[in-house]
Amino acid sequence: MKHVHTIVIGGGPAGLAAAISAHKQGVSVLLIERESKLGGILKQCIHDGFGLDRFKERLTGPEYAKRFIDELDALSIDVLLSTTVLHIAKEKEGYCLDVVNADGVARYSCKSLVLSTGCRERTSRQVFIHGQRPSGVYTAGSAQYFMNILGMLPTRRCVILGSGDIGLIMARRLSLEGAQVLGVYEAKPTPSGLTRNLLQCLEDYNIPLHLSHTVIKVYGDSRLEGVEISKVDENMHPIPGTSFRVDCDALILSVGLIPENELAESLSISLDPKTKGPFVNQYFMTEKEGCFICGNALHVNDLVDHVSYCATKAGAYAAQYENKKHYDQPVQVEGNFGYFIPQRIRYPLGEDPIACYFRVNREMKKAKFSLIVNDQIIYTKVFHHVKPPEMEFLELKQDLFKGAKTISVKMEELL
Amino acid sequence: MNVHSLEKRLNRMLYKLYPGQFSVQVTDDSIVVKGFSEDWNQIVDVCQRCVVKNSSYHVVNDIKFLNHEPKQMLVPHKTSQQYDQKHYDVVIIGAGISGASIARELSRFDLSILLLDKETDVAMHASSKNDGEVHPGVDLPKGSLKQKYVVRGNRMYDRICKELDVPFYRRGQYVGFTQGWLRPVVEAFALQRRVECGVDDTRVISAKEAFKREPNLSKDIQFVLYNTSAGCVSPYGLTIAYAENAVMNGAEIALNTAVLDMKVQKGKIVSIQTNQGIIYPKIVINCAGVFAEDIARMAKDRFYSIHPRRGTDLILDKKANFLTKSIVSTKTLGQQANQHTKGGGIMRTVEDTILVGPNAQETYEKEDFSTYPEDIDTIIARQSRTCPKLAKKDVIAYYTGIRAATFEEDYILEWGHHTKNLYHVAGIQSPGLTTAPAVAVDVSHAVVERLRIYQEVKENKAFDPIRKGIPMLRTMSLQERNDLVRKNPDYGIMVCRCEEISKGEILDALRSPLKVHTLDAVKRRCRPGMGRCQGGFCAPLVAKMISDEYQIPLEEVIKSTDGSNLVYKSKKGGASY
Repeated sequence: MKHVHTIVIGGGPAGLAAAISAHKQGVSVLLIERESKLGGILKQCIHDGFGLDRFKERLTGPEYAKRFIDELDALSIDVLLSTTVLHIAKEKEGYCLDVVNADGVARYSCKSLVLSTGCRERTSRQVFIHGQRPSGVYTAGSAQYFMNILGMLPTRRCVILGSGDIGLIMARRLSLEGAQVLGVYEAKPTPSGLTRNLLQCLEDYNIPLHLSHTVIKVYGDSRLEGVEISKVDENMHPIPGTSFRVDCDALILSVGLIPENELAESLSISLDPKTKGPFVNQYFMTEKEGCFICGNALHVNDLVDHVSYCATKAGAYAAQYENKKHYDQPVQVEGNFGYFIPQRIRYPLGEDPIACYFRVNREMKKAKFSLIVNDQIIYTKVFHHVKPPEMEFLELKQDLFKGAKTISVKMEELL
Repeated sequence: MNVHSLEKRLNRMLYKLYPGQFSVQVTDDSIVVKGFSEDWNQIVDVCQRCVVKNSSYHVVNDIKFLNHEPKQMLVPHKTSQQYDQKHYDVVIIGAGISGASIARELSRFDLSILLLDKETDVAMHASSKNDGEVHPGVDLPKGSLKQKYVVRGNRMYDRICKELDVPFYRRGQYVGFTQGWLRPVVEAFALQRRVECGVDDTRVISAKEAFKREPNLSKDIQFVLYNTSAGCVSPYGLTIAYAENAVMNGAEIALNTAVLDMKVQKGKIVSIQTNQGIIYPKIVINCAGVFAEDIARMAKDRFYSIHPRRGTDLILDKKANFLTKSIVSTKTLGQQANQHTKGGGIMRTVEDTILVGPNAQETYEKEDFSTYPEDIDTIIARQSRTCPKLAKKDVIAYYTGIRAATFEEDYILEWGHHTKNLYHVAGIQSPGLTTAPAVAVDVSHAVVERLRIYQEVKENKAFDPIRKGIPMLRTMSLQERNDLVRKNPDYGIMVCRCEEISKGEILDALRSPLKVHTLDAVKRRCRPGMGRCQGGFCAPLVAKMISDEYQIPLEEVIKSTDGSNLVYKSKKGGASY
């Protein structure tokens, strides 16, 4: 059994940043990646727009990843590629991992662990599309892999269900490759993707977006031949008598992402039903001592820049981790939040400002954020144009939380 | 009852219900129902009413289904002369569990055997789209063929699955009853099943005892009918194993081969016309499932009818595995009337997932495997009575299968009535998977006996009953896993992350004795894409492996059926990755 101080699981943008950051704290680090190359999903995201926050440049996904991979190489951080973690066990001090790769099965132990396992796409089965099972039903990510990695055209004429960012990006990408994108259909009354993607990927290419519509059935018994689309009511239930058929050869799904937390769950770490990621404190530590989490495994981010920022912090905290005497105080959430991270604050407090990530549950022109400690409002901030698809970020000084017996955050609309 | 008075009685019965719409003609072996209707359910109802229990009569449906063009059987686009002018001792039509198991049992003899199927793989219809339960047979009354074979079949499973290296677990079956006052009746029923029907593991246990083992059963359950012998198996896994073992022992399998017509002379099938040439058989075995009646018609030997019945099953995320570790269902008297299913249940499958269902719906579509939202909702509502914690949000997959039921709701296992070199294995529905091993033995003996009238049939001295399956690394200990990876590093490289399937396992599937190169074929052999991402991550990787292994361009790799290509050639070409 080999021992390292910090093991990072997952070599996408979160894991890369976490490993580099942990290494810079002067501890031994091992990064484990199941694919044969580092970079995670960025490898297939060949469009640009990555890194505007972090590097003040518009990079493609592979370029963004390369910045981190180069740094990782320069620092000679240990990496295991094509390696899958089979089990993790919590030991008295730290964790024990069984991994498998082409060399066989090996066991590693570590003091702290960073889970940067990313997220996966929701499938057609989870949105309950019916009909036979023809080929041509792809998640946007699979279509993107076929297109950008394997160089094949997954469709010539398609409908996209869901207005998530990957779906919008694929609408543009497929159009550029000569495929016809007949329309993007979204069951919700508002789009799910970022405004910039709605403009740059749909409007610029004259691809219509149909809100409050969903696909209820697919046609075709070998290759997909068409889809049945229906209007939906405010509860997203199809309205009888409003459905119509659209002929196409593929249905591309962009119906949401789910943090991939099977490893966390195997450690009996409970998940926040709102973020679908683990509950964490301000150090991105889950409820298991020494187990940290960051990136899309914690919550689905809009921008990779946020992922890197959060992972950099999580990696450093994992490297610095000591099991000291402590207690945690929950953060109560009031008002129009979709979710709020961190869900608890650990005492004794540290020095760094606390990175807070949240989404609202409905669109608001103007909204006030309040931090309430011991029933006193001790901090407020006004946000403009907040909406569920766009994640909000805020840093709060740890001092604000001093001596807290109760902590709550509140989001209220200002009229 | 003589033919004439039976005919009169049935006609009178139908006249009362639907004056002037239907009529019955009784022949030597069949009750032929004629007339017209626009309503398929009415047609089924009328034919069901004409069944004479405990007789040798079969109901033939000749009712015209108005305003409905009969759908042609889907056949492969490709044609070839690959099997043209070939002669076989035995041709088996249909490579489901029945056809595959019979082919394997026949391969114990020195015979030329051809198992043909119109689909791209074996077990593409009912044999893959069912729940995989190996039934104890507790629900079957004495006297039927189903009952005759179910106990024998069930008992053969340990040996067969060991020989064919197919996972099989006896999980036990709990049928909960919600009406406490029924207990003495069910006790008597259990005794009858034990003593008369040979289902000797049947017993009644208290609800308390059942809750101890199955704590998530509904608290409405008052007592439980329990059978330890109930098991689970992968229905297509077993079919594939049987087919592979048949191939290893000399049988040929012709996939993508549809029977289009037959030449019948003097009560004998002379030749079979397929899209891959004209084949000359000595004996034909009809294992064509929902198309058995169509084959019988081609062979001029139609004395029964098939009425397809849909059933949908749901698969839950492994997170719902707490629901049960065995096979559970509930019965409430008065709620299951007129249901040709035990009402389905909730079971822990052999792959260690939870399966819920099936339901039962009459249909005239023989190969429309569509699912409908109502199916999901009814199944969830029905089975919530068994386990109240069952939740729709845990459903990760669902599929529909079509049962090939006769109106008598029993099997047809007999030689042709008019065509002499034809053996019918028809009307096979639940518990068809359970009975298959036993039926295959008897059918193969009947066929060999018949052949021996004309020729010498020797045993196949080289017959090897052992087939080796693909190793399942995820179920192995770390030590075993390590040893295997040391021998073949491909077993250490993961392709399917959700189900932990390695590159080595997928290559094994692609290199198995029965070569099938569709995405779904790989999925059925070693499960990549069956997990929670449903192939989102691994489908492109597996498609690429198929393309590399068989040297076929990626755009020609198909998902499952002819024409189900995954991608088109891009004008630009891609990164070399």
